[in-house]
Amino acid sequence: MRASLLLLGVVVALPFAAGDYWAYQIGLYFLYAAAATGLGLCWGGAGFLPLGQALFFGLAAYLAGFLMIRFEGWGPALLPVAVLAPALAGWAIGLAVFRRRGESGPYFSLITLALALLAYQIAINWNAVTGGFEGMKGIPGLPGLDDYTAGYYVAAAGLVTAIAIAAWLRAAPIGVLWRALAQNERRVQLLGFDTNRLKAAAFAASGLLAGIGGTLYAPQQGIVAPQLVGFELSAALVIWTAVGGRAALLGPAIGTIVVGSLGAELRDRVPGWEVLMAVFFIAVVIVLPQGLAGLAGRFPTPSRNGRRRSAIAAPARQLAGTAALTVENAEVRAGSVRILDRLSIAFDRPGIFCLIGPNGAGKTTTFNLLSGELKPAEGRVALGGRDIRTLAPHHLARAGIGRKLQIPSVFPDLGIADHLAIALWSGRTGVADLLRPRLHRWTSPMSIELQRRYPFLGDDRTAAELSHGERQILELAMAMVTEPRILLLDEPCAGLSPEETAEVIRLIRWAAGRLGNTIVIIEHDMALVRELAQSVHVLHSGSLLASGDIATIQANPAVRAVYVGAEK
Amino acid sequence: MDPILVTQGLNLVFAVAVLAVLALGLAVVFGLLGVLNLAHGEFIMVGAYCAWATTAAGLPYVAAIPLAIAVCGGLGLTVERWLIRPLYRRPFDTLVATWGLSLLLRKAAEAAFGLSFRNVAMPLPGTVRVLGTDYPGYRLLLIAISAAIVGGLMLWYRRSRTGLRIRAMVGNPDLAQAVGIRATRLAAGTFAAGTCLAGLGGVMIAPLVPLQPLMGLDFVLRSFFALVIGGLGSAVGLFAGSAVIGGVDSLVSALLDATWGYFAVLVVAILFLWRRPGGLFAR
Repeated sequence: MRASLLLLGVVVALPFAAGDYWAYQIGLYFLYAAAATGLGLCWGGAGFLPLGQALFFGLAAYLAGFLMIRFEGWGPALLPVAVLAPALAGWAIGLAVFRRRGESGPYFSLITLALALLAYQIAINWNAVTGGFEGMKGIPGLPGLDDYTAGYYVAAAGLVTAIAIAAWLRAAPIGVLWRALAQNERRVQLLGFDTNRLKAAAFAASGLLAGIGGTLYAPQQGIVAPQLVGFELSAALVIWTAVGGRAALLGPAIGTIVVGSLGAELRDRVPGWEVLMAVFFIAVVIVLPQGLAGLAGRFPTPSRNGRRRSAIAAPARQLAGTAALTVENAEVRAGSVRILDRLSIAFDRPGIFCLIGPNGAGKTTTFNLLSGELKPAEGRVALGGRDIRTLAPHHLARAGIGRKLQIPSVFPDLGIADHLAIALWSGRTGVADLLRPRLHRWTSPMSIELQRRYPFLGDDRTAAELSHGERQILELAMAMVTEPRILLLDEPCAGLSPEETAEVIRLIRWAAGRLGNTIVIIEHDMALVRELAQSVHVLHSGSLLASGDIATIQANPAVRAVYVGAEK
Repeated sequence: MDPILVTQGLNLVFAVAVLAVLALGLAVVFGLLGVLNLAHGEFIMVGAYCAWATTAAGLPYVAAIPLAIAVCGGLGLTVERWLIRPLYRRPFDTLVATWGLSLLLRKAAEAAFGLSFRNVAMPLPGTVRVLGTDYPGYRLLLIAISAAIVGGLMLWYRRSRTGLRIRAMVGNPDLAQAVGIRATRLAAGTFAAGTCLAGLGGVMIAPLVPLQPLMGLDFVLRSFFALVIGGLGSAVGLFAGSAVIGGVDSLVSALLDATWGYFAVLVVAILFLWRRPGGLFAR
């Protein structure tokens, strides 16, 4: 906060210290810095890299220029259209590309790069509107703001607005979810969030910030050239963001202002300046992934429990008691191998079920089927009588199916408080809620009881700093805070010491009593099964071999044959 | 047969064959090492400038082949050692790093050759009569060479001992290392093979396109989309993906203009992502 105020002071004082003309030059980089701040939200925040960000900047600039020329007098009032257009474009492109498999690696990056190149083609060929190669000329300035100093302050106001929006989003629940999905997207889905929409929202936000910069650019410069949508500016924005520090709030802006204005000065004086910058960029990627901001401190800092001033009770989850989860005749194949072979199984009452079977019996596959990550080729999966085959994992999580994965999968760089907060938001929030920072203060009776049982859940550590046992407890706690109707636990005791195992068993028993729900556990250790299970299902070769209480199962000759390996 | 139809048909075959060979190096590195080399297009650009340097020095055109292999291979080995190897466990960062490399190569070429366009003289100027139509001999030669390179490489990969070692390394790097396969060297070789293929592609197309430091961008995008559509891992997929991309682009460009052709390629690539995320011939 203090650093931001200091920076604000520097920004206000700059024209007096450096002279009007210089300030005006730097003001141009303020506009680019707004776009870079948006790039930082996507790349440093949500973990995907748009390579064609100039598309948004140029789109806004051309639109603003067009509106200013076409609607003399009215133009300035219409400028919000130019700001919002790139945000809408970002939302649409994000949904289109992320829709299928949440692809956020090379595919997304290259599509955005190709879009920027396409926009450049359009800009140079559509003479009637864009002015072609020469650019769109004669754009009137904003009325009353046409001297150098005024131009500078307008740009500064634009950048401050952009950074304020970015700061808000980063602090809001959606910012925490962005960082979470950058680290473990599957986990966020299993907690009931549509990660594709979250990523599209990040891309839309980056469009909005670039839109602010681009919109102010047109009246300030009076001309919009095709280079503004093209490859070079896109590339420069990535470099500036990386050098400044993609994960820090101010990193991208500082990188843009420092490197950009240095470049403008030195490009013609130092031979090979741009080659040098490319080498510097590569060095930053390898040695200093967090950029210059990484030198200043660790980013991003986890939310502190202590920062929560007064707790707010989270709304109760609107789920009606228990519901039967049934699988009928499900077939799952991988190539020619049948992983599930006409499996029929039902978890139809509250209590603890154990799912056992030799390796390769299809236990984890069954869980993937139940949590919606896998679709059966044939057969039916139903929750409370409703067919759930077409539902995505995040829908099923909202319908009350909670899951803990075999490998503890938490978000290493997030604080414990963030983990519990995400679990609390699961199934209790609408889209608009994700923009309200006060949701950090949510608690539920369940989360309070868990924190009382495990005081370490109130610590200010990140998940990466926890022991294996603590991580298992944290993940179980997250699953319980979501208050699922059906909780799927995949080997919750794997790799734990006897003391930790005993603790996990106590916790599961407590949760079963407290939530009154159905808990299904995959377990190999027969001693644990004996201790926990009220009912046991045995899988073998993808179908159900036997069900019943533990004594019945242990007496079953078919089960014994499978476990001793005496079959065939 | 209608001569225009024959010419258009051969043009299409030519476009597909060239795109397949340009995408091959990218496919090798992406498919085997999991590294998407965004600087692939710049290696094509370097290969093309090698061809320009050879003809400028008055040497026969064939001399461009060893030159391009030496330059692109050497660059590839250096880059693998200092840029790719430290990042094998950080796939997202290799994307960014090779993107930085593409920038570096482009700016270096800009510093060395300037931004102006250059042309390379056609080494094989004559035409050949095909089905009653005259068609440029050099293009026919390229179709044959492309098919030979793609087919030969696939066969070698399936049959040779080195191919077997590579497959072992891809399947399980730790186990391969344990049974005495030098995975580090093999990976370096694979990466350099990819950049050499890009350089060769550059030599092949140099007489047909204007040379410019920015020329690589377009190639890497087209190659990548061809891979996405065809799916990784087979020659059939490579040709099929190249056929879809090359075909859509040529067709729409002929009917409307190049901008629409470009747009159509993008739309097709996004549609494929929705409908066939593994490509036409998923491994």
